[in-house]
Amino acid sequence: MSALILQSLYSGLLTGGYYALIALGLALVFSTVKIINLAHGEMVLLAAYMAYVMENSFATNPVVAMPLALVIASLIAVIIYFLISRIKKHRELNSLILTYGIGIILTNAILITWSADIHSTSNEAMQKPITIGPFSSMTSELIFLGVSMLMVAALWWWLTRSWYGRAVRAVSSNRDAAKLMGINPQNTELVAFIVAGILASFAGVALYCTGVIQPSLGTALTTKAFIITVLAGIGSIPGVLIGSVLIGVAESLTVTLYSSAIQELTGMVLFLLVLFVLPNGLFGQTRRRG
Amino acid sequence: MKLFRNSLCLTTSLLLTFSSVHAKEFLVGVELPLSGSYARAGKGNLEGITIAAEMFNKHNPKHKIKLVTIDDESSPAKAQAAVEKLAGQGVVAVTGGYSTTVTGAGATAANKAGLVYMTHGAPGKDILERGFKTFFRINNTEGYTTAISGLLGDMGVKSVSIVTSSLQATAEVANDVKKDMAAKGVKVTVHTFDPGTADFKSIINKIKLQDRSEAIFMSALENDYVGIIRAAKVLKPNIKALVGLWSLATPKMATDFPDLMINVFGTAMLPYPAEFKTQEGKEFVETCKRLYNKPPDYLAQLGYVQAQVLFEAIRLADEKGTLTKGGLPAELRKTNRDTLIGHVSFDKNGDNPNFQQWIGQHQAGGKIPLVWPKDRSNVNMKYPALPW
Repeated sequence: MSALILQSLYSGLLTGGYYALIALGLALVFSTVKIINLAHGEMVLLAAYMAYVMENSFATNPVVAMPLALVIASLIAVIIYFLISRIKKHRELNSLILTYGIGIILTNAILITWSADIHSTSNEAMQKPITIGPFSSMTSELIFLGVSMLMVAALWWWLTRSWYGRAVRAVSSNRDAAKLMGINPQNTELVAFIVAGILASFAGVALYCTGVIQPSLGTALTTKAFIITVLAGIGSIPGVLIGSVLIGVAESLTVTLYSSAIQELTGMVLFLLVLFVLPNGLFGQTRRRG
Repeated sequence: MKLFRNSLCLTTSLLLTFSSVHAKEFLVGVELPLSGSYARAGKGNLEGITIAAEMFNKHNPKHKIKLVTIDDESSPAKAQAAVEKLAGQGVVAVTGGYSTTVTGAGATAANKAGLVYMTHGAPGKDILERGFKTFFRINNTEGYTTAISGLLGDMGVKSVSIVTSSLQATAEVANDVKKDMAAKGVKVTVHTFDPGTADFKSIINKIKLQDRSEAIFMSALENDYVGIIRAAKVLKPNIKALVGLWSLATPKMATDFPDLMINVFGTAMLPYPAEFKTQEGKEFVETCKRLYNKPPDYLAQLGYVQAQVLFEAIRLADEKGTLTKGGLPAELRKTNRDTLIGHVSFDKNGDNPNFQQWIGQHQAGGKIPLVWPKDRSNVNMKYPALPW
């Protein structure tokens, strides 16, 4: 039984790391620009298809696709921000409709370009089983758990230590006051979107290396990312990692100790429970600063 | 001589024009998931239906089938709306549908409109209990269950773990296989998972450490198979065989995931490379290559058969003058013929009781020979054999 539990915890940790990678970009934009980007999942998916294109066309390791994925995902992020910045009234609400529409357009563009077939890496190095004591996984899962932790740390550092990160937080806290301090809110928000695009590109390559991609996956990715963002609490980047791992471990333990049939339900129940007890999420700020 | 040649050309042109002008055109509605989670199945099915229309029109100068296609986006509500729209456009019948839930919605709308609904995408049992008078299908879960239970029985396994998606048809096959195997005294454990599940390691680890089964039967879809087999490759449970349901023993899976598929079993109707011996089969392959620049897969094959049976019934009903008087369901019930998937006839519920699947096994060189039943196979199954 202990072997089962240990492997289950490990699987939950790996899944959590992967969830965090997907959620980080959405969490950043949601907490700083106050926009729920419903096309975030499609951005991740597009980056995953870049990894597929590179592997399929040039027989390379899908990780090599990272620069291409970065460019494409960031470009899409810039376009999304450009369109959002055109909204004059009720930005929060109208941006929901806009990004939902962009998500549909991206899904269909992927469908037309790469057909409805499923794809995943066939790279041996990525799929190679790796066993450390009682823990087994694919090499790619372990790599991207590390990448996920690194991304959380980097994003946290960027938001708290860099000038642009502080500017993003300042605009998020009080747009007018930030303007008076010489910060250009438009440029700052654009930077936040570009960083979200960069995070989406890492998530996309991870998705292709560890799972299976198909054009209809985007909505499910956005939903998962949104649940984690709200669970973590608006504005908490380390909370995203903790919330993701919590959901991953809860799902995994449910399979091991009870039934795989209610795996997804467990994540949702946990999410609702946390919100019931902590309406601001696990690490959400109760009072606005500034 | 020149005058004779010109006259001949003119006569031929006139004859061709005359025959095409007088070819009676019939609109047939196609409602399929061309986007959304079942898009792959929908596109494969559409290829088969298009091939059937192409071949029908070629061989029937007096009748012409024109397809009107609507994407149901893998959604029951959209499927219903699509069939209602097709009915409004004056189609004589509707074909398509994928997944019992989505197809059920489309078939309900067709039944209300009094239109025939022909499919291969709703193999589940409950759709037959809804009392549809115009619903027809060429396959059912029983055909798949018989093949899986037969294979596992012939392997002589003492225990089997079933990993099944909670989707209606996959869960139904899993449940029927469970009953069959339990009746034979085999220990069966079922692990149901949600269609959104991506990580199967916890399930496979339970099979490895708790179930300790001799075989795993995966009742799932393509993306699930990849996740399950990958998890099994990582954890290496002490099993003797990996068996799957539809969409697994296909050339596409062999090409895209060669390292995962080798030695895996799955239901199939034909070996790969396909060996069609009939004239119709050869023409089907040629038409597919001409239209799509590739050999047909099982989805195209099922789509072709469902459409071809429907088109033939439309032709016969028209010739008897019953098509416009609601005679198409009656004509379809008279169907009793061999097709590319075996014998097809329909019972009072519109089900094809003859439907039978065989078992193929992914083997070296991307080949998928039929390995069960013995009288259908010319290659021995590799057992015990695994992808690792």
